[in-house]
Amino acid sequence: MTTGIDEAVWGAPVPSIAALERELARLRRAAGAHAKEQSHSVARATVLNLVVYADRDTHALRAARATMRLSNRHPSRAIIVYGDREREGADVAVQLHCHAPRPEESSQVYYEQILARVRGDADDRVASVVIPLLVPDLPVFLWWTGTPPEEARRFDDLLAIADRFIVDSSDFARPDRTLPVIAALAATQRGRRFGVTDLNWTRLTPWRELVAGFFDVEAWRPCLDEIVGVRVGFGVDMDGRDIHPSQALLLVGWLASRLRWRSKGSLAPSEAGGLLFEMARRDGARVDIRIRPRFERGIEPGDTSGIRLQARHAGSLFEFVLKRAPDPHHVTAAVVVDGATRSIRVVPLPSAGIEDLLREELAIVGNDHVFEEALHALVTLA
Amino acid sequence: MPKPATLVLFGGSGDLTRRKLLPALYNLALQRLLPASFAVVGAARSAQSDDAFRRELHDAVAEFSRTKPINEEVWGAFARNVRFVATPDDAGYDALRAALDRVDVEAGTNGNRLFYLATPPQAYAPIVRAIGKHELRGPGWSRVVVEKPFGRDLATAMELTGVVHEVFREDEVFRIDHYLGKETVQNILVLRFANGIFEPIWNRQYVDHVQITVAESLGVEERADYYEHAGAMRDIVQNHLLQLMALVGMEPPAAFDDRAVRDEKVKVLRALRPISDREVGARTVRGQYGRGYIEGRAVPAYREEKGVAADSQTESFVALRCFIDNWRWEGVPFYIRTGKRLPKRATEIAIRFRIAPHRIFTKDASEGLEANELVLRIQPDEGISLTFGAKVPVQGLRIRTVNMDFVYGASFMVDAPDAYETLILDALRGDATLFTRRDEVEQQWQFVDPILGAWSRGVPALATYNAGSWGPTEADTLIERDDRAWRRP
Repeated sequence: MTTGIDEAVWGAPVPSIAALERELARLRRAAGAHAKEQSHSVARATVLNLVVYADRDTHALRAARATMRLSNRHPSRAIIVYGDREREGADVAVQLHCHAPRPEESSQVYYEQILARVRGDADDRVASVVIPLLVPDLPVFLWWTGTPPEEARRFDDLLAIADRFIVDSSDFARPDRTLPVIAALAATQRGRRFGVTDLNWTRLTPWRELVAGFFDVEAWRPCLDEIVGVRVGFGVDMDGRDIHPSQALLLVGWLASRLRWRSKGSLAPSEAGGLLFEMARRDGARVDIRIRPRFERGIEPGDTSGIRLQARHAGSLFEFVLKRAPDPHHVTAAVVVDGATRSIRVVPLPSAGIEDLLREELAIVGNDHVFEEALHALVTLA
Repeated sequence: MPKPATLVLFGGSGDLTRRKLLPALYNLALQRLLPASFAVVGAARSAQSDDAFRRELHDAVAEFSRTKPINEEVWGAFARNVRFVATPDDAGYDALRAALDRVDVEAGTNGNRLFYLATPPQAYAPIVRAIGKHELRGPGWSRVVVEKPFGRDLATAMELTGVVHEVFREDEVFRIDHYLGKETVQNILVLRFANGIFEPIWNRQYVDHVQITVAESLGVEERADYYEHAGAMRDIVQNHLLQLMALVGMEPPAAFDDRAVRDEKVKVLRALRPISDREVGARTVRGQYGRGYIEGRAVPAYREEKGVAADSQTESFVALRCFIDNWRWEGVPFYIRTGKRLPKRATEIAIRFRIAPHRIFTKDASEGLEANELVLRIQPDEGISLTFGAKVPVQGLRIRTVNMDFVYGASFMVDAPDAYETLILDALRGDATLFTRRDEVEQQWQFVDPILGAWSRGVPALATYNAGSWGPTEADTLIERDDRAWRRP
């Protein structure tokens, strides 16, 4: 039977966990001996366990590349669990591979990568493979690629050992169903150190900073309490079929949780996959929310394309506008009062590859309360 | 180099001989650490020829040696001085005496004899008495190595010592606890007493608590006969775990010799706070594994294993909350646990220090920060690691716990010798530092006996846990009651 595993990428198969540890120890020594010849040293400066769950081999490969590139900043033992569930009915088997690739940029950090390919219906035994592979004492980050299942033993068991749980809601098949599940997780795991994060939230960081930046100007701060409309645009592909509004929804959830808006009525679909709904401000006044898909070249489906906040203050209409201009890698931030532009500046958008996002998230061990509150506010909309 | 000697191996065809003793002897030969004149005489009840015995040992070494392939030159020279004598009756022991006298002449072993009892424990007393009756002690020195278990409670341990003392003086008795032969275990003493920085903080002022874990992923395997009657308490806690605790807790000995070190260890064992009938429910947990998964494979429950009773009450897991009542450790809990069918094989000691007395960093910044911990890993991957808080390299202040790791294999680039190599060599040299003295064994039983007594009356009830988990939830409760948690080894 062919294994279907590219050994050039994943290393040779090993028969057991004990054999795997021996092989990694051998590689460590080899790296150490090689380094001594080159008169520098290789540090096994592992700071975290990164457990990745993937149920497609393309996701597993993407994760492997990302975690290796991250190893300079976050030296880790990466354990990639590939749940090969397409082979249901096949014999249940766990196949282990390991290697210690040297990241190109560095010869000094030691990085270990393990692939555990679980074939067949082996839900209840996934954790029994992962737990003995964890490096003691170090926090466990669980990165779940794709949509987390609503009910599955493999998911619950891995969550139970994780200190921090990372998902990417842009991958969710049905964000409206899965985001509440994620929100509930953050609540049920309370009582122990457990943080939840969404890479889509990390993508919003520069946007949130820019929104907040508007109101550092004292003259405009009162507008925060007088917002009447919010428009958020998000990218779609050319034929408009791939609709991923979760990033935009998170942004609205953030505004709602920070400004203490309440939901008022439920989400209503609008034209071409958009959403139209109302919220109530703290003073009870109405806020109109419109989320619209937009096709723009260079913007990934689901990514924010622009934000417009409208406020009525002192008899004028204030508009706080963020849009990707002059190109998708820059944002123009403008304040428009009664149609006249009062302030304008252009800032670069940092690149948001999967590694950049993970790099940010792996630096945080505790809970991200702001995210959890935004998520909670979002869920009350649905 | 030890003086010439003959190793007299009772239980010459047993599992221990095949898996541990012979591979250890062969590796000592390979390192040129055996005496210039050295012979092995195997003794067992059923007869076989010298050659058949040699072939059996050769195959065992080829299978179990830590160095492979086997060096046939070295093995050949070693095997020339290997003999076998069947000892089913008195005549057999007389033949053994004759063989030993002959070996003294032929191999030049000077009448020095190391008797090694590698048999099932019920054979210890008859063999020792036979050694006396048939005058097997040679004209040189004689010593006896006794494998565990040494008794099954205080009374039987004292009785066995009584029998052994009919033939050997206490300084000739080497009770083996192979854990003590492990490099890292000896390194506990080196770490503590060869370094100036640890001893000053090794006490109740700075240590919050200590955790000792001996975890196995294996089940009962082929040992059900023995294990059903022993259980984890007699198999691991009474000897290995209490010895590890004594090494962590002992005062600095005045010298590194058998008397000074063992004097200090026994003082700790005497200071162990007894677990009374009243406290046994709150300070002990006993568990037995049910079905589950190990490394992705389904494994049966303990009661489904071959040779185990369907209603067995034998514990495969023990957790205890212990205290050492002396000035150094007053109020510092020692949490110890051991079990079979836990997620991984790991033996380690963790010293958890108190948190910094005053927090100057914000809660957000120090969310990833935990108290310092010194972990002595005994197996696998022998090594020491120290955790401390460090700043994450980002703008702003974020603190996270990082590990400073010392791995023996990586630092010295040699394989650590097997525990049995160390211990056999010590016994040949006559150094008893790493062996258990009579008073230590008796103190250990004295601590364990009352707990076993309460358990036999059903207090606390036997808990179950899934194979592949870290033990029953009762064990978590035991430590969580003190607002602490087990670490993940």
